[in-house]
Amino acid sequence: MLLDLRVSFFLALRGILRGSRGSLYLTVLIIAMVFTNMIFMPSIILGFIKVAEDQIITYQTGNILISPHEDELYIEDVFSLLEKINRIPGVIRASAHYGTGVTLRYKANSLGSTVVAIKPDDERLVTDVYRKMVDGDYLADGELDEIIIGIQTSGHKDNSLDMGPTLGYLKAGDPVTVEYTNGVTKVYHVKGIIETGSYYADQGAYITWDELESVFGRKVDYATDVIIKTDLDAYEPLVKTQIYRYGIREKVQTWQDILEEAMGRAVQNFAMLNSITIVVSLIIAIVVLFIVIMIKTLNSRRQIGVLKALGVEKSIIIHNYVFQVLILTTFGVIVGITLVESMVAILTVYPFQFPDGSVTPVVATSDLINNTIMLYIASCIAGYIPAWRVASEDILTAMRS
Amino acid sequence: MIIAENLTRIYEMGKVTVHALRGVSLTIQKGEFVGIMGASGSGKSTLLHLLGLLDKPTDGKIILGGIDVKTLNDRQRTRFRLKRLGYVFQDYALVPELTVEENVYLTSMIRGTSKEEYQAQTYEILERIGLADRLTHKHNELSGGQQQRVAIARAMVNKPEILFADEPCANLDSESSRNVLDLFKQINREMAQTIVMVSHEDWHMEYFDRIIVLRDGQLISDGPPPEEILEKACKYK
Repeated sequence: MLLDLRVSFFLALRGILRGSRGSLYLTVLIIAMVFTNMIFMPSIILGFIKVAEDQIITYQTGNILISPHEDELYIEDVFSLLEKINRIPGVIRASAHYGTGVTLRYKANSLGSTVVAIKPDDERLVTDVYRKMVDGDYLADGELDEIIIGIQTSGHKDNSLDMGPTLGYLKAGDPVTVEYTNGVTKVYHVKGIIETGSYYADQGAYITWDELESVFGRKVDYATDVIIKTDLDAYEPLVKTQIYRYGIREKVQTWQDILEEAMGRAVQNFAMLNSITIVVSLIIAIVVLFIVIMIKTLNSRRQIGVLKALGVEKSIIIHNYVFQVLILTTFGVIVGITLVESMVAILTVYPFQFPDGSVTPVVATSDLINNTIMLYIASCIAGYIPAWRVASEDILTAMRS
Repeated sequence: MIIAENLTRIYEMGKVTVHALRGVSLTIQKGEFVGIMGASGSGKSTLLHLLGLLDKPTDGKIILGGIDVKTLNDRQRTRFRLKRLGYVFQDYALVPELTVEENVYLTSMIRGTSKEEYQAQTYEILERIGLADRLTHKHNELSGGQQQRVAIARAMVNKPEILFADEPCANLDSESSRNVLDLFKQINREMAQTIVMVSHEDWHMEYFDRIIVLRDGQLISDGPPPEEILEKACKYK
């Protein structure tokens, strides 16, 4: 058996190296394109998901979000809760948010929005929003009458970049009027403009917790949500379990839970699109390789008959062609990986620009392995069937062809 | 030794039944150089194919080297051909992707001969036929006569019990044909090689020890090539 396979491989290698160069290059190119097609689409989708993950963690909720249960409006006794959470191993910092609906006015423009009250020192340890000031500065603890606003609310200088209604190019230092739902109306000094690339973060407006308390005229010890940053090596579901163990009764979600909630359906649809792309690619690969091997075997019918006459077993002849497609597939996969990696390298430097951020393709090793295995299986089928058909002909029929 | 008893081969070609061989019996001794001759359609290639295990008779019996080949299954027939028979075809039938030496040692590889051994055997046989300097050449770099000599080397490298040749000179000019026939004769004499060759050229008769003449699928003469047989062969051609 091993000897027969050795002979098949010997014939296959000679067949490829000394056969038609044009046919070899074209076949390898087609397989490479099929492989690229199988990998590239999932890599873009994975890139999208990665962007969403990064944005959720970096600018929105941190690694874990605590929010009130559906039948409650607030998380009560929030500062004692923060103390508890900050003591949990693996937690870097927890930051309380109090979001309230407001109307923002600047010159003739007015806009319904949400103002989020934060403790800036805590927030700096949880999100990276403070690093994304395109104009002015971030808030500091205890500051009053200051507000920072996301670029999708303040508006770009070039309004074609705005994704919705804005205040019409508000800048740091400008005054903005905020009308609260409790009837308080106050003019704030815009301390800074945020541009993170995350639409959620870029449409918000932020004030300090002290400012919120001054607006409400009382201490505020409740929050609409708490966001938590964990250590890099912390496993979020484990931290979530520990939070529950500390007796916290609020709704606790890891960023994976949030992503699933927000994008679960989209991810499912993407997965379906992926599957369709892969199936179509595999069918193309099978058809192309089938045709290539069919043409090769039909052109070699007489030669196959002669080999059988000389005592070469049918299995050696079939394996010869199966090895040929496996070798072609190997070349195709190598060229395909090179193409994919080159495209990833180029798109890392020049990423796709989408409203939710810059998307770079992310090639998962598991996708590479799975698709390579699928391509090899498809190739084996595509090589085996035509080779078997011709090798099964009786010797004289083949020799007379 | 080859023993064929009452060999019959009938082909069904659509609604037409063709009796290619009608009860041919013969015996070929080891070391004989036998020519099978006859007009086109006389059944000479069919007889060669049956004796060489490339086809199965409709009826009759073939004993090769003491084995009734009817008892062999397809796989055993393949192994039998590989290990005990050699073939030379009209159009050389070299594998185009292989070099001269690779074509020659391919069947040795399959037999499991060690690399050193089959390379030595290949060189020896190619040297014997005067092509040792063409080891790495491909078939399209050789003349027709040279290609046929490579095909003979391929058939002979495993020292088969019987060498079958199906009109090996049909595509060669007379000079190349004579070289090839000289080589067959040399192999037959020096190695006591049994050779069964199909031919339709009258002048080839001088090379054969014995001539079997077929007509309409029947054996009409079997013996050494005397003058009257030569005349008869010319008549049927």
